[in-house]
Amino acid sequence: MRRSLLILFARQVVKNALSNKAVLLLLAIIVLLLIYAGYSGSKIYADQTASRIRYQKEVRAQWENMPDKHPHRMAHYGYIAFRPKHPLSVFDFGIESYTGNAVFLEAHKQNSVNFSEAGFSTGMFRFGEISLAMILQVLLPLVIFFIGFDTIAADRENGTLKILLSQGATWKEVIFGKAFGLLAIALPLLFFAMVILITAGISVPSMLFGADEWLRAMLITFIYSVYFVVISLIAVLLSSVSKTARLALVSLIGIWLLFVVILPRASQAAGAAIFPSLSKVEFEAGIESDLIKKGDSHDPNDPYYKGLKDSLLKAYKVDSLVQLPFNYSGFQMKEGERISAEIYQQHLLSLLDNYKRQNSVSRVAAFINPFAAQRNLSMGLSGTDFNTYSWFQQQAEEYRYNLAQQMNDLQIKLISNRRPEQHEAPHSISRDHWRAFADFDYKRPSLRKVLNDESLSLLALLAWAAALVILVFVISKKLKAV
Amino acid sequence: MYWLLLKRFCRSRMVVIGLLIVLLAGVAGIFIGRAHLQKQQTSLVKAARLQKEHLERNVHFFNKDMGLLFYYLRFGLVNETHPLNALSIGQRDVNSSLQNVNIRNLEAQLYDTDLFNPYGLLAGNLDLSFVLIYLFPLLIISFTYNLLAEEKEGNTWKLILSQDSKPANFLWKKLLVRVFVTLLAFFFLLFVAIGVLSLQPDLALFMVTGLSVLYIFFWFALSFFIVSLKKNSGSSAVVMATVWLSLTVVLPGAANNYLSARYEVPEALATMVKQRQGLHEKWDTDEAPTLTRFFAHYPQFSKYPKPEKKRGWLWYYAAQQMADDESAADSKQLREKLWQREHASKGLAFFLPTLHAQFQLNDIAGAGLSNQLRFLDATANFHEQLRLKFYPAIFEGVSVDKVDWKNLRLEYFREDRKLSWLETQVPLVLLTMILFGASWINFKKRMI
Repeated sequence: MRRSLLILFARQVVKNALSNKAVLLLLAIIVLLLIYAGYSGSKIYADQTASRIRYQKEVRAQWENMPDKHPHRMAHYGYIAFRPKHPLSVFDFGIESYTGNAVFLEAHKQNSVNFSEAGFSTGMFRFGEISLAMILQVLLPLVIFFIGFDTIAADRENGTLKILLSQGATWKEVIFGKAFGLLAIALPLLFFAMVILITAGISVPSMLFGADEWLRAMLITFIYSVYFVVISLIAVLLSSVSKTARLALVSLIGIWLLFVVILPRASQAAGAAIFPSLSKVEFEAGIESDLIKKGDSHDPNDPYYKGLKDSLLKAYKVDSLVQLPFNYSGFQMKEGERISAEIYQQHLLSLLDNYKRQNSVSRVAAFINPFAAQRNLSMGLSGTDFNTYSWFQQQAEEYRYNLAQQMNDLQIKLISNRRPEQHEAPHSISRDHWRAFADFDYKRPSLRKVLNDESLSLLALLAWAAALVILVFVISKKLKAV
Repeated sequence: MYWLLLKRFCRSRMVVIGLLIVLLAGVAGIFIGRAHLQKQQTSLVKAARLQKEHLERNVHFFNKDMGLLFYYLRFGLVNETHPLNALSIGQRDVNSSLQNVNIRNLEAQLYDTDLFNPYGLLAGNLDLSFVLIYLFPLLIISFTYNLLAEEKEGNTWKLILSQDSKPANFLWKKLLVRVFVTLLAFFFLLFVAIGVLSLQPDLALFMVTGLSVLYIFFWFALSFFIVSLKKNSGSSAVVMATVWLSLTVVLPGAANNYLSARYEVPEALATMVKQRQGLHEKWDTDEAPTLTRFFAHYPQFSKYPKPEKKRGWLWYYAAQQMADDESAADSKQLREKLWQREHASKGLAFFLPTLHAQFQLNDIAGAGLSNQLRFLDATANFHEQLRLKFYPAIFEGVSVDKVDWKNLRLEYFREDRKLSWLETQVPLVLLTMILFGASWINFKKRMI
C-alpha cells in the first residue's frame, strides 16, 4: 500500500464530509453535546461528591462525639458508609445511576445500599443519560456511518471507482484510505472529549485527578481509538459491498440499531430469563431459614447456644455465667455475628454469582457486538461497572462486621457479667474506644483488577479490529468495481 | 387504487423484514412483561406465606413480652401491580412492590431498595412500550423515507404528475396504505397482549390504545412532513434517523441530566443521618424530655404510667418516634423535591412525544414515580396505623396471646389513579395536527 494514496483517499473523505452542511451540523451537535455532557457530568459529580463527603464527615464526627456508653449501644448506633464516586464517572456514568449510594452498617443486620438515582426518578429516566462516553459510544458511530455510507458506494454509482481502480489504486488502498478518513473525523472528537474530561479533572477539586486517573484516561483513549477503527472499517466495508449508496446507508443504520438498541436489551433479557434471580423476599427468607437451622440466638432453649454455654461453664469450671471471667453475652453475640455474617456472605455470593451469570450473556455477546465490548470496558475503566459496585458492597460489609465484632470484643473484655440494678448506672466504657475505631476508608479496585475483570471485553474488541482488517485483505480480492 | 398500492408496498422485502422484526420483538416484549408480572406474583405469594410463618415463630419465642415481640415483628404492604404493567414495566423493576415494616422508626426502613442486578437495568427493558416507542417509529421511517423519492428516483413521478391533478393526493393515499399496515401490526400485538395477559377492556386499556395509535399517527405526521421537504431518499433517511435519534436518545438523555442536576436530593442522605442520630442520642439523655415530646405528639398516650421501668418500652418506642420526628423536615423536603421531579418531567414530556408516551404509559400502568411516591405515603400511613393499633397493647403490657395474630395478613395498596383523556392524548393530537398542516402547506407550494 502506498502512503500517498492512503492519505489522498483519507483527505478526500474528510474534505467531502466537511463540505456537506448536514454533516457539519451533525458534527457541531456532537461537539455541543460533548460540552454539555462534560459540564453536567462534572456538576453531578461535584454536587453528589460534596454531599457525600459532607455527610461522611458528619457521621464520623457524631461517632467520635458519642459519650461513654455500653459498647453494644455503639454496635447498634452503627455507621453509615457513603459510596464515593469514581472521578472518571464524569466520563462514563455506567451503572452509577442504578446503584445505591449510602448504606447503614449495624450489628446483626446487613442493610441494602439505598438511594439510587433511578429509585428517585420517573420512568423517563430509562431513556438513559448523556455522558461523554455515551456520545462517543452511541452517537458518534452513527454520525460516522452517515458520513461513511457513500464513501465507496457513491464512487461506484457515478463510475469514479472504475477509473480509480483502472488507474492503479488497489482495493486495499481505497478501503483503508477511506477508513482513515473516517477515523480522521472521529479521533479529533475523541481527543476533544478527553480534553473536556481532563479540564473537568483539573477544575473540579474533588476529582483529585492523579496518576491512576491519567493512566485510565490514556487507556480509555486507546480503547476508543480501537473502537473507532472498528466503526470506520464497518462503514467502509459495507459501502464497498453495497450496490447502491442508499442500500449501504440502510444497512448501516440497521447494524447500528442492532448493536446499540436491540442486542443489549435482548441479551440482558436473555440473561435474566436463562438465569432467573431471587426476589428480595426469597433471598431474605433463604438467609433466615439457614440461620434458624444453625441456631437461633433469640431462642433461650436453642440447642446450639445451649451447647456453647454448657461447654464454657465446663471449661472454666464454674456453675453460672456470672462467674465467667469475661462477658458472656458479648461472647454469644460475637459467635452469632460470625455465624450470621458467614451465612449472609454465602447467600450474597451466590446471588452475585447469579447476576454475573446473567451478565455473562452480554459479555459473550461482545464477540458479535463490538458496542457491548466497548461499553463494558469503558465503564470498567471509569469505575462505574458492576464489579466496582460489588467491591464497595463487600468493603462496607467488611467494615460493618469489624465494627460489630470490635464492639463485641470490648464488651467481652470490659463489661461485667453482673447486670446493674435498676437504681445503678448502666455499664459503660470510655468514649476513647470509639475514636480508636478508624473511619470507613473505601479502597477503589486497582487498574490491574479492572483489566483482569474486563479481559474478555478487551479481547473481543481487539478481535473485532483484527477480524475486520483481515476481512479487508480477503474481500479486496473479490470486490468488483461495478 | 388502494389495493394496488398495498400490493406494491407489500412486495418490498424490506417491508416484510421490518414488520417481522417488530412483530417478533413485540411478542417477545409481551412475554418478557408477563415474566415480570409472574416474578412479582410468585414473590408476593411467598411473602404472604412468610409473613404468616414469621408471625407464628416470633409470637412463639417472645410470648412474654409484647414490647420485645414488636421489636422484631414485620408487616407487609404490597403495591398492587396492574396487569398493564406487563406492557410498560417502567420503574417497577427498580422499586420494590413490597414494603416490610416493623413499628420502630419509619425513616430507617422506608427507602430500603429492592434486590436487582444493576447491570441488567442499564440496557433497559424490552417490553411492549419499548417496541412501541423505539421500534414502531423506525418501522414508520423505513416505510416512508422514500415515499416521494422512490417515485422520483424510479422515474415514475413524471407519469403521476401527468395523470393526477393533485399529486399530493397520490402520496396521501400511499401514506394511508402504510398507516393501515402499521396499525394492523400494532393491533395484532395488542390482541396478543390481551390474550396472553388476560387484560380487561377497561378505561386504562382504551387509554393505552388511544395513546399508542396517536403516537403512531404522530410519527407518520413527522415522516410525512420530512417527505414534504422533497429531499432525495438518502437525505430523507438521514434526516429521519437523526430526528428519531434526537427524540429517543439525545433529547431524553439531556433532559435526564438536567433533572438529575437540577433536582439533586441530598435530603435523602440528610434524612438518613438525622433519623439515626435522633434515635441513638436518646440513650444518653434523660427519659423525661423524650417522653414529654412523645406525649405532645400522641396526647392519647400520656395516660400511661410515667415512672415505668428504666428505659422501658414506652420510652423506647418514644425514642424511636423521635427519630421520625427529628428527620421529618428533611423527609418532607425530599418528598417535595421528588414531586418536583415528577412535575418537571411531565412538563418536559409535553414537548417530546417519546417521553410523553413513556411517561403516560407508565402512569396508566402504575409504574412511574408518582405511583412510587404514593406507595411510600401509603406505607407511612400503614406504619402509623400499626403504631396506633399496637402502642396501647405494648404500653399496657397486654399478654401476647390476647392478640388475634391470624388476622394480621399482608395488606394491599391500590393507587387511586386519575386517568385523564385530556392529559394523555391531547399533546399528541396537537403535534400531529401541526405536522400534517405543515406538510400540506409544503406540498401545496410547488409539486415538481
